[in-house]
Amino acid sequence: MPQALADGLLTGAIYALGAIGLTLTMGILRFANFAHAEMMTWGAYMALGVLTVFSLPSAPLGPLTFGWPLIGATVIAILLTIGLALLIDKLIFARLRGRVNHLTLVFASFGVALLVRNLISLIFGGEATYYTNTLQMAIRIAPGLRVMPDQVFIFCLSIVLVIAIHLFLQKTRLGLAMRAVSESPTLAEINGISLSRVVKWVWIIGGALAAIAGVLYGVSVQLRPEFGFQLLLPLFAAAIIGGVGNVVGAVLGGFFIGIVESMSVLVIPAGYKLAMPFIVMLLVLYVRPTGLFSGTSGGK
Amino acid sequence: MVGIALYIVFFLTVVSIYAIIVMGLNLQWGYTGLFNAGVVGFFAIGAYGTAILSGPDNVRLIGGFELPYFIGVIGGILIAAAAGLIVALATLKLREEYLAIATFGISISIQLVALNFASLTGGANGLVGLPRPFYQFFTEPSVYSVFFLCLVLVFAAVVYVALERAVRSPWGRVLRAIREDVTAARSLGKNPTMIRLQSFVLGSAIMGLAGGLYVGFIGFVSPIDFLPILTFQIWAMLIVGGSGNNRGAVLGCLIVWGLWTASGYVISNLVPPGFQSRAGALQAMLIGSVIVLTLLFRPRGLIGEEDVISTHAGASATPALQADAAEKG
Amino acid sequence: MQKNIYSALAAVTLAVTGGSFAGTASAQSSDCTYPLGAVLSLSGSMAAIGGAIGDAGQLAVDQMNEAGGMLGCEVEYRLRDDQGQPNVGIDAAMSLVSIEGVEVLLGAIQSGITMPVLTSVAVPEGVTQISCCSTAPNFTELAASGDTQGYWFRTLPTVRPQGFVMADIARERGYESVAVIYVNSDYGVAMTEAFNDAFTAAGGTVTEMVPYNQEQASYRAEVSTALATEPDALFLVAFPADGATALREWLSFGGTQNILLSNALRATEFIDAVGAEYLQNAAGIDNAQFDGPSVDAFNAAWEERFGSAPEGPGLHTMYDAAAIAMLAAQKAGVYEGAAIRDAVREVTGPGGEVINPGPEGFARAIEVLAEGGDISYVGATGPIEFDDYGDVSGPYLIWGVSEDGELTQVDTWDVERVNELMQGQ
Repeated sequence: MPQALADGLLTGAIYALGAIGLTLTMGILRFANFAHAEMMTWGAYMALGVLTVFSLPSAPLGPLTFGWPLIGATVIAILLTIGLALLIDKLIFARLRGRVNHLTLVFASFGVALLVRNLISLIFGGEATYYTNTLQMAIRIAPGLRVMPDQVFIFCLSIVLVIAIHLFLQKTRLGLAMRAVSESPTLAEINGISLSRVVKWVWIIGGALAAIAGVLYGVSVQLRPEFGFQLLLPLFAAAIIGGVGNVVGAVLGGFFIGIVESMSVLVIPAGYKLAMPFIVMLLVLYVRPTGLFSGTSGGK
Repeated sequence: MVGIALYIVFFLTVVSIYAIIVMGLNLQWGYTGLFNAGVVGFFAIGAYGTAILSGPDNVRLIGGFELPYFIGVIGGILIAAAAGLIVALATLKLREEYLAIATFGISISIQLVALNFASLTGGANGLVGLPRPFYQFFTEPSVYSVFFLCLVLVFAAVVYVALERAVRSPWGRVLRAIREDVTAARSLGKNPTMIRLQSFVLGSAIMGLAGGLYVGFIGFVSPIDFLPILTFQIWAMLIVGGSGNNRGAVLGCLIVWGLWTASGYVISNLVPPGFQSRAGALQAMLIGSVIVLTLLFRPRGLIGEEDVISTHAGASATPALQADAAEKG
Repeated sequence: MQKNIYSALAAVTLAVTGGSFAGTASAQSSDCTYPLGAVLSLSGSMAAIGGAIGDAGQLAVDQMNEAGGMLGCEVEYRLRDDQGQPNVGIDAAMSLVSIEGVEVLLGAIQSGITMPVLTSVAVPEGVTQISCCSTAPNFTELAASGDTQGYWFRTLPTVRPQGFVMADIARERGYESVAVIYVNSDYGVAMTEAFNDAFTAAGGTVTEMVPYNQEQASYRAEVSTALATEPDALFLVAFPADGATALREWLSFGGTQNILLSNALRATEFIDAVGAEYLQNAAGIDNAQFDGPSVDAFNAAWEERFGSAPEGPGLHTMYDAAAIAMLAAQKAGVYEGAAIRDAVREVTGPGGEVINPGPEGFARAIEVLAEGGDISYVGATGPIEFDDYGDVSGPYLIWGVSEDGELTQVDTWDVERVNELMQGQ
């Protein structure tokens, strides 16, 4: 029981990081981006690519399985992921935005997801890989409760990032502009906010967080071209439960989904675990159509 | 030459089954604007419904009622419609994107049930030895293949004609009116939720029919028949052909499935085995590119929606509707 | 209207497929050739093992050609990718059979693809199908009902005996309680059920049987569930990539290193991903005989060709499937599905002159058959005898992992020993 709770919180930390970017695109760009999870995969593989190309050692820091080389590679991966996000927006989404039904954008993101995912498996192959083959042993911190140092690091990092993003949205002019666009694009534009600038920053922030989440996922589990796709449902569920556009809500939603998923195995057959995020999401939507931590309503 | 003809019969049977699914999706998305990202789930329900009702008796299974095949198909359609009704009731009031995510989740959940509820669905082993309609009357398998193709074509034609009539009827006009402007439709005294519900349920039933035909074609179902990638493929067919147009939907099926199989053929003949696992990725990228390029350069698909409801209604179509149709694009 | 579109596009399809067919035909030499078809998962969820299985088929075909070819003609190996999807698999099978004139189909890997290929292509078209890798029990049921019309064979034993052997090993090693984590597929379910039956009957306790769905991000919840029961040992029934994820999590969270492994995990990819130091106490099973001239012949040929030992699931059985297909056609004297079907049992089983893998063996087989003699193919997996339903019972080897990560062989179970165990239960 405590173990399931801890597992859930730690899985939830990764969901939370992915869901932040997703909730921003859904809130501000107003479409469900099915390709967001592929940004995570892309980021994770770019870091692997950097490590491989420069054949960097893992040089572990303290009890962790990774060290400065991976952190450096992650910085480059973040830039490459932002680059990809902006490129895709320029080539595809920007051309469609405003021109077609916004649901067509959702479908375009289907296509983009397929492209990115298979580009990754074309370059890196379909096999599962790891940043390091070193196996980390969990530390027993209480009877029946073990955690891995990597996971604790991931958990703390996600909390720090969430606070940073929250402050950014609350305190900076750009953050304010983003929130204004999320409330009402038309009103925001009347007030002199540059929509294209806001869109650009949504991709930058979303892409950066996706890359970090992807790398952390790779550290904690493994790299596979499909891993992003498998995370899609929990990420959406987290974003929606948290209230679309609400960053803090997305994070809480991520933890909530992680815990529910992990605890569910105690009650239902493990084979049904995958459906849990979805069922929780439906229940929440039924009770509170705007999500548990209602942020901006999002509207249409 | 006989071989090629046989293959074409086979290929067209698959395409016709997919065409039925795509027409069901076209009703939901093309005419009503409902984003169903869980197409494969309703297809699966129709298939499993048919299989369980008409399959052979088996002590390990709840199902295997040995009903006649067509009763099984009707049952599959009804179960798929019921599932569509439940999904619609639960999600149609939500924001539009939520419907996409909810249906996506449903298709995954349905596959999980197929995989885990072994006493009903046979679990990972699937259901085997399912009846194929009128099989006993044929001695020559190739003649039966031609017969089965005709059977599927008849069903496809019935669905096609019925849908064409439906979308040209007053009901169909309301559908499109809702898709374009919910508020206006509501102010005209239409109940958008009710109409959407009908469209979604009918579309799901059509997908269920395709599932039943698939069972008759293969004689076997298992969970891996219903992977999420099939939803992608079906959507690609609709987008490429042109949503809001049933001829486009059918054409899209031929092109996308033809492209998919032909590219597999080319890759297997040109790429050495050691690299084929990577070349398989090229094939999926091809489909991804086709989707994106179509959206960018021919957003209405190859055929696209007809401008006016002219062929039958001609000048009698109301000016308001013509304006409505001209506005899209 | 619709009909017009159909006929127009039928013409287009005809032109495209016909055109490319003509292209490949003209590229071949003017001598006669026979196509041997294979449908395997080269991409998709089984990609990690599919490529090497494809190579095993190629090896058999090349050796046959070296021996002079099948029925005096060159054999062309036609390998198609099913992408892990049944709809793609049946289309590939159908195009192999109807366009390329294939009369024997090898494959597929996953039962969910093999079965529709069998029911909708092989049986209706009268083509013999030999699978290297599909373990589902319902093939036997289908064959027993007569619906396969005898066109179905598989060269790997069903998994049930494996579960029994593993249960015996668990008892022998003194494990009182075992938890099972298994892949939620026909293979995993059948293996787990067999293990549970046998281990419980032998007085042990199966503390938990946790299914996992393939290609999931993390199996922490499943692992925790199994771990909570604190078993003496873990039996992991999995494929390499997912198996590595699950076992890494198991070990990280303090799970026992008394580990039993299923046959699909006998892959260096898996050993490397987990780390050999944690697998010193592990024991696994696989279908293969590990000594005897026929096995050595295959292993040597593989090492010479690919530079590494033939390790991994499905290699030996795929080689045998291809070899039996070609020898059966040779025996039948004609490249035709039904004749090949009828000849399969005549070239296997005891009674004839023993034929081992390799060009020399195949050349000898051609010679004996030409003289009207009988042959008995003893393959990469050892002696093979198909029962009435196209199943074989096979020998097993028990493998372990050495300190430097090499696969080792710990024990061997020949058919008699397996049968004795099965009857004893």
